[in-house]
Amino acid sequence: MGMKYRRYLAGERIYGCSKCKTHLATIHSMISRAFNGQHGRAYLFDGVVNVVEGEPNDRQMTTGNHTVRDIYCVKCATVLGWKYDRAYEQSQQYKEGKYILERNLLVDVQ
Amino acid sequence: MRIPEPDNHSNLSSSYDFVSEAGPSCVTLDKASHSNGINKENGYSAPVSNGTTSNGSPTMGNGLAKHSSSIMRVSLPGTTLYDDPYLDREEFVRLVIQSLRDVGYIESAATLEAESGYSLEAPEVSEFRQHILRGAWADAEHLLVELGVTDADALLDARFLIGKQKYLELLEARKTTAALQVLRNDLAPYSTSSEQEELHVLSSLMMCSDPQDLRRRASWDGASGISRRQLLDDLQHYIPSSTMIPQRRFSTLLTQSREYQRLRCLYHNSAVDPSSSSLFSDHTCDKESFPRITTTILEVHSDEVWNVAWSHDGTHLASASKDKTAIIWRIGLEAEPSSRDCIAEFILRDHPYALGCLAWSLDDSILSTSADNLILLWNTKTGALMKTLENHGETVSALVWLPDGSGFMSGSLDRKIIFWDMEGELRESWNDIAIRVTDAAVTPDVRRLVAVGMGYNPPPALGTLARANVRDASPPIVSNGNGNAVGPRSPENRMIIYDLKTGQVELSVHMEGELTSVKISEDSRYALINHAPDEIHLWDLQEFRLARKFTGQRQGHHVIRSCFGGIDGNFVISGSEDRNVYVWHRDTGTLLEVLDGHGLGSVNSVAWNPRNKRMFASCSDDNTIRVWEAPVSAGELLRGFGISASEPEMIGKGKGKVKQPWTYNDGGL
Repeated sequence: MGMKYRRYLAGERIYGCSKCKTHLATIHSMISRAFNGQHGRAYLFDGVVNVVEGEPNDRQMTTGNHTVRDIYCVKCATVLGWKYDRAYEQSQQYKEGKYILERNLLVDVQ
Repeated sequence: MRIPEPDNHSNLSSSYDFVSEAGPSCVTLDKASHSNGINKENGYSAPVSNGTTSNGSPTMGNGLAKHSSSIMRVSLPGTTLYDDPYLDREEFVRLVIQSLRDVGYIESAATLEAESGYSLEAPEVSEFRQHILRGAWADAEHLLVELGVTDADALLDARFLIGKQKYLELLEARKTTAALQVLRNDLAPYSTSSEQEELHVLSSLMMCSDPQDLRRRASWDGASGISRRQLLDDLQHYIPSSTMIPQRRFSTLLTQSREYQRLRCLYHNSAVDPSSSSLFSDHTCDKESFPRITTTILEVHSDEVWNVAWSHDGTHLASASKDKTAIIWRIGLEAEPSSRDCIAEFILRDHPYALGCLAWSLDDSILSTSADNLILLWNTKTGALMKTLENHGETVSALVWLPDGSGFMSGSLDRKIIFWDMEGELRESWNDIAIRVTDAAVTPDVRRLVAVGMGYNPPPALGTLARANVRDASPPIVSNGNGNAVGPRSPENRMIIYDLKTGQVELSVHMEGELTSVKISEDSRYALINHAPDEIHLWDLQEFRLARKFTGQRQGHHVIRSCFGGIDGNFVISGSEDRNVYVWHRDTGTLLEVLDGHGLGSVNSVAWNPRNKRMFASCSDDNTIRVWEAPVSAGELLRGFGISASEPEMIGKGKGKVKQPWTYNDGGL
């Protein structure tokens, strides 16, 4: 894979990993605040940076069956949320390729 | 070249005897002045270099006359030496005469002058030269016009140069009053505005306490040094070179020829050795002696190896890995590759994160490593951790020990460059610089620091989005087609050249693509910068311009590093994302070698051995480090270093594990 530096975001509001402050996403890429994760409120983002994606697996969620991957912080390896690979319900397919970050695992960074 | 042998020389002489009017005084010349030169003693006066002269001393003239009385002028058709219209015969012969005189073959020079009808130079020229070398300033000045310095400005300039020398010599001899007169009468009235400043400096030299102080402050080596000869060189600019041939001109041309051959020698990697160079053949280095086969594979790391660095004495290699360890390897340079011991001497384990940088202190006693935002200092003799520095807030991307021995420098993505003393105490910190540093280097002359990195977009202050720099506004979000969304567009990348002492920015250049590596050439002239995608740029730090690009290697998303290597830094080598090592000729940009051998993934970094110029190391995502060397030469085989005949062939493939003779020294860590 090779060596990479972590990416740094710019914008009015930057969300980072609550444990190690690694930049993850900006408010500009946020699609929705109306999600729930394992630790309560969660946000749906169009794009995130500095995460490692785990293996895909199918999960039954309140909105139907999905294929998702856990995403980990590239620096401290904390599980931060997940990525939607596939939504089986047609109405949910807008989530495909998008990311969930749990609000309680995020912190504002600069 | 025709060299008359003694016996046929006598034949020639006798044939010349037929000519009744032989001898230099009778030689018919194209120019009157030249014939004068032949007639006068001065035309023959001793070699320029020994500076002796004697007006009218008959001894030498007699000797020459006796010898050359039998010499007849040879008249040749045309004006060129051979067919080449650029090779003027007269110019060539005059250079030969100059060379002969310089080394002391006075009679041969005279013979050649007589035989060719060309003389080295007019008598005024040698007079002028002697005046300068003897310090007869007034006499020298009088001859300037005769030597073709007719332009009024040129004449003033030349007089100023002579006056300056005169002034300095008077000061040196502590004749202050006379020196002051020169300053007032000879220098000040004729100085141009650009010389005014120099005049101030010159007058300040009056205050020098003693001649040594004077010579040091004037950067001038005194009347008995080479300063008069230097003055002649400087005056040369105003005198037509056909009148006064520049000193040692033939030697200059031959030096140029050697440099040209050296530049054309793409695989040049042997020391400049006078004993092995010859005027009779062009210089060329054997491609076979270039390090392009793997002689050792070091495989102890359990994950990708991201960086390598040689100790200054060339005996140890340090490697930095994603496996959170650094290893200090001892590479047994004393032995031939086939029997070389390579031992993992210390495995430095106490890193909480993957490692990025490595740097050896000047005396190789300390190894500094970086793991994310931490810098660790290790004792290289014991493998013990000496200190952990936590001042950086983000990944440390550059570690450099300063060539002046004052300590080391670190650069980080936190936009700080910190200077530390030898003990790891913070000396100075440059905060909030314009880039997140991805690599930095210091010139060996300790004048400049070159940093590369990502431009930093400051967050807009609350409620005030309007900023001076429009580019600082948040860029739009970009998402690529396959749903693998990316964040905001990467900010601009920059190279910044700082004055190391003051921290002032000398140059800041915007560059497309991520910058991942900076190295500086030994002469402090060039910076080598890896540049995504797929380019390495050579920046000229003197002229502040891009000098050359090296292409061929692959670099898209990863930190790939390159370096200079070989004799005089003649090569550029780089890692690549296509698992090859790339080698270029630095001065032409010619791609010389694409070396395969490493496994899947990127070759992340390369390092040329600073002592053994025929050895370098590369490290890769395949968890290994390879040591590259020249194939065993035939000479070495003959000397019998216990290498069987079949082995070099196997090595020659540059593939496969030649051997892993390292032993695992895991104790005491």
